[in-house]
Amino acid sequence: MTGSLNVIGYGLAAVGPALAVGMIFAAYISGVARQPESRSVLQPIAFLGFALAEALALFGLVLAFVL
Amino acid sequence: MNRDNLNHPRNEEGALWSIVGYLISGLLIWGGIGYGLDQWLGTSYFLLLGMLLGAGAAIYLVWLRFGRE
Amino acid sequence: MILLAAEDEGFQPPGVADFNLPPIFGDNPYTTKPIFLAFLSVILISVFFIAASRKALIMPSKLQFAGESVYGFVRNNLGQEIIGHQFMRFVPYLFTLFTFILTNNIFGIVPFLQFPTMSRVSFPYVLALITFVVFHYVGIRHKGLLAYIKEIMFPPGVPKPIYVILTPIEISTYLLVRPLTLSLRLFANMFAGHLLLLVFFLGGDHLLQGVIGLKLVAPFAFAFGIALTFFEFIVQCLQAYIFTLLTAMFIAGALADEH
Repeated sequence: MTGSLNVIGYGLAAVGPALAVGMIFAAYISGVARQPESRSVLQPIAFLGFALAEALALFGLVLAFVL
Repeated sequence: MNRDNLNHPRNEEGALWSIVGYLISGLLIWGGIGYGLDQWLGTSYFLLLGMLLGAGAAIYLVWLRFGRE
Repeated sequence: MILLAAEDEGFQPPGVADFNLPPIFGDNPYTTKPIFLAFLSVILISVFFIAASRKALIMPSKLQFAGESVYGFVRNNLGQEIIGHQFMRFVPYLFTLFTFILTNNIFGIVPFLQFPTMSRVSFPYVLALITFVVFHYVGIRHKGLLAYIKEIMFPPGVPKPIYVILTPIEISTYLLVRPLTLSLRLFANMFAGHLLLLVFFLGGDHLLQGVIGLKLVAPFAFAFGIALTFFEFIVQCLQAYIFTLLTAMFIAGALADEH
C-alpha cells in the first residue's frame, strides 16, 4: 500500500473549512428566511466569511502539493 | 460582476464561483512567485509569504467586488 | 496508487485506464467511442428538435410540448432572468450548450452507450474555450477594448500601489482560472460519477464470482449501483445547468455597466 501522507493531512484539514462554510450558509439562509429584506446586508458578510473559510481550505490544498 | 441584479437569488451561485476563482488565482500567482524565489535563492520562507500575500489580496479583492455597498 | 494485494485477489479496481478507450476502426485515434457519442448527440438533438418544431400548433402535441419546455426553460430561466434585456442574442448559444452537454452527460447512464462524453477532458476544454471567447468578445464589443480591460484589471477605489498586487490576480482570474474551473468542474463530476458506477457494478460482478458468502452480498452492491445511477442522473442534469448558468453569468458580467 503506497500513498502520500500529505493527502491524508489535507483530507483532515479540509474538515474544518467544510464545517465552517456549512455553518456560514446555514446562518445566512436562516437569517434571510426570517427577514427577507435583510438580504442585501447579510450577503456581503456571508460572502466575506465564505472567502475567509475557503482560503484556509485552498491553503491546505496548495501546501499538500508543495511541501 | 453584474451589479444590476445583485439581489437576484441565482446570482449568489455565480458570485460564489467567482470568489473561489479569485482565491485560487491569488494563491497560485503569488504562491508561484514565492516558490520561484525560493528555488532561485535557496530559501524556504518566500513560498509562505507569497501564499499569505496572495490569499490576503484575494480576500481584499472579494471585498472590493462583492463586499462593499 | 493503492495496490492492495492485487495478485491474489484478482480484482482490478477501475481507474483512469478505463477511460482510455481503444479506437474502433483500426489504429485511427479519431474514431474512439467519445467522438462517436458526440456526433450521435448532435444527430439526436437535431432530429428531436426538428421533429418537435416541424408542425407547430396552437395546441401542442406531446413532442412539441417537450421541445418547447426545454427551450422555454433555457430562454426564461437562464437567458432572460440573468442576462437582462439583451438576452435574445445569446439564447441560441445557451440553448445549444445546454442541450449538447445534457445529452452527452446522460449518455453516461443510457444502457449500451454508458460513457459520459464529458469525462474526456478535451470536450469540456473546448466548450469552455468557446464560452471564454464569447464573453470576452461581448465585453469588448459592448464597452470598447480599453474600457473593458480597465474594468477587468483595475477595480475602482484602491490606492495606486495596491494595483501591483491585485492586477496579476485579476488577469489570471479572467484569462485562466475562470475557463479552467468551468471545464474542470464538468469534467471532474462526470469522471468521478462514471468511476463510482464502475466501482459498484464491476465490484458486484466480482463478488458474484466469489464464495457463497460473497454471492449473498453482491445484490447489495448492485442495488447501491442502481440507486447511484439515479443520483448520477441528477448530477448530470445539474452540471449541464451549472455550465450554462455560469456562461450566462459571465456574459451578463461582460454586459453590465459599472455604477
